[in-house]
Amino acid sequence: MRDLALYAHILLGLAVIVLSVWILFELNKKSSKMVRPLAAVTALASWLLLIPAGYFYILFYPATKTLIKAGAWPWAHAIFMETKEHWGIFLPVIVTVAAWLVYTNRAEASRKWWKLAIIVAILIAVMGRIVVMGATA
Amino acid sequence: MKFNLYIGAASSAILLTIMVILTEISAGFKGVLTSVFTHHWIAKVVVVFLALFIFGYLFRDKKNFILHTDEKAAWHFTLAALAIIFLFFVFDFLA
Repeated sequence: MRDLALYAHILLGLAVIVLSVWILFELNKKSSKMVRPLAAVTALASWLLLIPAGYFYILFYPATKTLIKAGAWPWAHAIFMETKEHWGIFLPVIVTVAAWLVYTNRAEASRKWWKLAIIVAILIAVMGRIVVMGATA
Repeated sequence: MKFNLYIGAASSAILLTIMVILTEISAGFKGVLTSVFTHHWIAKVVVVFLALFIFGYLFRDKKNFILHTDEKAAWHFTLAALAIIFLFFVFDFLA
């Protein structure tokens, strides 16, 4: 179950990034029938991502947190994990606003929200990597 | 059903920022969230989700929100929430 949650967490996070990039490419075309379904799937993926994220954070992270706080990189938890766990809550809001703009015929206005979603998701992944490194530092 | 998710997002950003700061400085507030939702993180997810759609629905016909147009409010409060959350934890660690 733990491995399944780990893969789901990584794959859904990756899906949000890849699909958002794909949507930006589709928005460059004069007309695309793919944007709306892609936007809906991306918004759904961003909310579903919270399930494995919460599963890991609540059930397994406390032990890792103890390890990090006792190690050489206590800031990996205090700054990066704390930021990551809360930015992660807000990522689905950003993606949902972007998808809502697509569905209300404001696709051009959605561009900056898709870009923000990509940036935030990548930064969350980088912070996750720092936290993992902090556990062994 | 019509929504204004710009205002929903701005409301979610404000509430998340307040909850993040309060749970760090007030054990009582964190305890209340934990007692209601079993974990403070789950409480934040539920509040953010509900705020997005409830405020988005209640303010569906509004074009302004806290001295901003709805579009600017959503964008500015989102960026501010992300920045404040990160900076709060930096200062909290250094303090």
